[in-house]
Amino acid sequence: MSRLRSITIQAAGLLIALTTSVAAQDYPNRPVRLIIPFPPGGSNDVVGRMIGTQLSEQLGKQVIVDNRAGAGGVVGTEIVSKAPPDGYTLGVISLAHAVNPWLYKLPYDPIKGFAAIGIMGTGPNVLVVHPSLPVRTTQELIALAKAKPGDLQYASAGIGSFQHLGSELFKLTAKADILHVPFKGGGPAMTDVLGGHTKIMFSSLVQTTPHIKSGKLLALGTGGSKRSTVLPDIPTISEGLPGYTAENWWGIVAPAGTPPAIIKRLHAALSAAQDTEAVTKQFSSEGASVVKMSSEEFGKYMVSEMNKWERVVKEGGIKAE
Amino acid sequence: MDLLNNLLFGFGVAFSLQNLAYCFIGVLVGTLIGVLPGIGPLATIAMLLPLTFNVEPVGALIMLAGIYYGAQYGGSTTAILVNLPGETAAVVTCIDGYQMARQGRAGPALAIAAFGSFFAGTVGTLLIALAGPPLAEVALKFGAPEYFSLMLMGLVAAAVLAQGDTIKSLSMVVMGLLFGIVGSDVNTGMHRFTFDIFELSDGIGFIVIAVGVFAVGEIVTNLGQPERREIFTAKVSNLMPTREDLKASAWPIVRGTALGSFFGVLPGTGPAIASFSSYMLEKKLAKDPSRFGKGAIEGVAGPEAANNADAQTKFIPMLTLGLPASGVMALMLGALTIQGIQPGPQVMTQRPELFWGLIASMWIGNAMLVILNLPLIGLWVKLLQVPYRLLFPAIMAFSAIGIYSVSNSSFEIYLTAGFGIAGFLWLKLGFSAAPLLLGFVLGPMMEENLRRAMLMSKGDPSVFVTRPISLAFIIATVLILVVMIAPAVRKKKDALAE
Repeated sequence: MSRLRSITIQAAGLLIALTTSVAAQDYPNRPVRLIIPFPPGGSNDVVGRMIGTQLSEQLGKQVIVDNRAGAGGVVGTEIVSKAPPDGYTLGVISLAHAVNPWLYKLPYDPIKGFAAIGIMGTGPNVLVVHPSLPVRTTQELIALAKAKPGDLQYASAGIGSFQHLGSELFKLTAKADILHVPFKGGGPAMTDVLGGHTKIMFSSLVQTTPHIKSGKLLALGTGGSKRSTVLPDIPTISEGLPGYTAENWWGIVAPAGTPPAIIKRLHAALSAAQDTEAVTKQFSSEGASVVKMSSEEFGKYMVSEMNKWERVVKEGGIKAE
Repeated sequence: MDLLNNLLFGFGVAFSLQNLAYCFIGVLVGTLIGVLPGIGPLATIAMLLPLTFNVEPVGALIMLAGIYYGAQYGGSTTAILVNLPGETAAVVTCIDGYQMARQGRAGPALAIAAFGSFFAGTVGTLLIALAGPPLAEVALKFGAPEYFSLMLMGLVAAAVLAQGDTIKSLSMVVMGLLFGIVGSDVNTGMHRFTFDIFELSDGIGFIVIAVGVFAVGEIVTNLGQPERREIFTAKVSNLMPTREDLKASAWPIVRGTALGSFFGVLPGTGPAIASFSSYMLEKKLAKDPSRFGKGAIEGVAGPEAANNADAQTKFIPMLTLGLPASGVMALMLGALTIQGIQPGPQVMTQRPELFWGLIASMWIGNAMLVILNLPLIGLWVKLLQVPYRLLFPAIMAFSAIGIYSVSNSSFEIYLTAGFGIAGFLWLKLGFSAAPLLLGFVLGPMMEENLRRAMLMSKGDPSVFVTRPISLAFIIATVLILVVMIAPAVRKKKDALAE
């Protein structure tokens, strides 16, 4: 009896293995859904759509972008984690994915719930101040903040946003005390800093560059490990504050359990999409850079990012809920 | 000269074949929904918003704006012919316009409404062009304390001026505040009233409330009433107003335009307030006030000019400050954001073609509306005869599609249905839904700015009176309260309501 049972189980196992490998061979045979857990118009959407269009070309099947915004990306990401692991539902994740576990009680496991496919690229940030603030370099800002603890104020797009976390990391690294003033989104925060009400902001390069060029804001440093190609004259923050890097990033994941053959196929398609002129051109015009990693490297990167931001969230005393 | 150059540049943008077409579609749809009771510009723009994703920003905005001011025109047609306000602002037009129609003077009433609106639209357009740029400069001086004081003034003005039972409107404002609080708190990130539902953590969508309470609630209410429509189509014969009509209407139109422009810039004051004030003013100035309510042409001319001027100047705070002065403007801001344009003072310098093109298109649109409204009256009247059993299901279906497409979530549809039921109950109990929306929009913004101002001043409340702009708004708020609560004004308002 037990023998018969084990044979049945083995047969069933073989059958599953066969069907999945068949599925992987002719994958994709219908449109693929790419969930972007943010509303249209933001950086996740711009990057995701661009890569989605190129993936369609590479895979030979339509990749349909589906914006499922809500709760800092949690709503859309949950849909990805619960989708059947057949390669027909993919999701765009970003820095927020590494931060959310420390802010919210998530309805999914941020690492084990997903199969990493690859990273699409990174987007640098820039530290700007209103010209009325008497500092011209990162060191001067740190010195001023230390001279007047809690007197300086920085604006952010809200609790848990990369503007917030990037600034908190800055405070932790520099051991400076600067007051956080949260706004509802990057736009209102930027308007406030332009008016000189709050005077410091750590913001995305795309949003900030026009104001830096017009002289309305002063750039102290960019957040990447190397100088930005868009603003080559501006030093990195780490030139003045060693050890500091904070960049936004975007990647693609599938639900956990997606067959390795399909992951491999998708990674190859992503890599080819990243080489197209359309993508490289658009990325550089947005001040972002194309980054390539193997699926395993990207999986490890997700874990290291989670650890990095866990420290910032815990030591910075950031709480949501 | 700069102004002239800018306007010319704007007309260049607006006169492209494509943008002319968007403008035409906008005002046509606007007139249509203005004529049809139950569908307002708010719900329509909400429904059409997702369709504009793929249209370039200028065209999208021109079209949406056309719907908005087109509806103000269309609303008067139904009010005059059927005594049914297609738009809330047209309630006043019903009073004398319908009486004129009964006397066989529907033609002149419609013509005066169109002329008055056109004049007001032209002035409103010029005002945006003139006052826009300086206002944008001032806008950057607005920090958290200034925004708080400004919104306080808007909320107080709206609450005081609201028609009907003050207690009821105040309780609806509070209800709106409560709904507005749902979601993540900006300052602490805490989830409030979300009941662990992740879909609620970003708050309740404005479109959900607007469509639920206005479109769904209104339809359910209408279904409960027997269809009762009396139309004076046969009597629409001679269109042109007489010389006396024109003379009698000229000043009311000018005064209505002035009133409407003033209220337009104030956040939170709907066009209904502008037209009511204009009606009150005309009645007060008239040599023989007893004619009002019996077909006085001034009672049509003034309020129609006022509501159109209001609709037009509502764009000033939206375009220059990124501040929505009404629900429709909040949707316009949404349209900008969807297009990847950050609303705020920088729009004018970074996207001049958008700003000036939109302004120029408004004037063109107003001219189109005069043409649309006069010869096509017969067609609009036909539309009024579409049976509700066909009209209502269609509206419901389009609303549901519109809501779903905003964030591709069926949760929002359930929420809308819930608000539809609530809206029906509120209507039955005599609670007007407009204050609810006001509280919903302004409340959270006020809270956010109050707390931000206190955070930045380290808990010192004097910041509201030591900063000059903020102080000016606080003084204005007190003045509004004193003037409007004065017994004489109160009595007038009540007399009118009867």
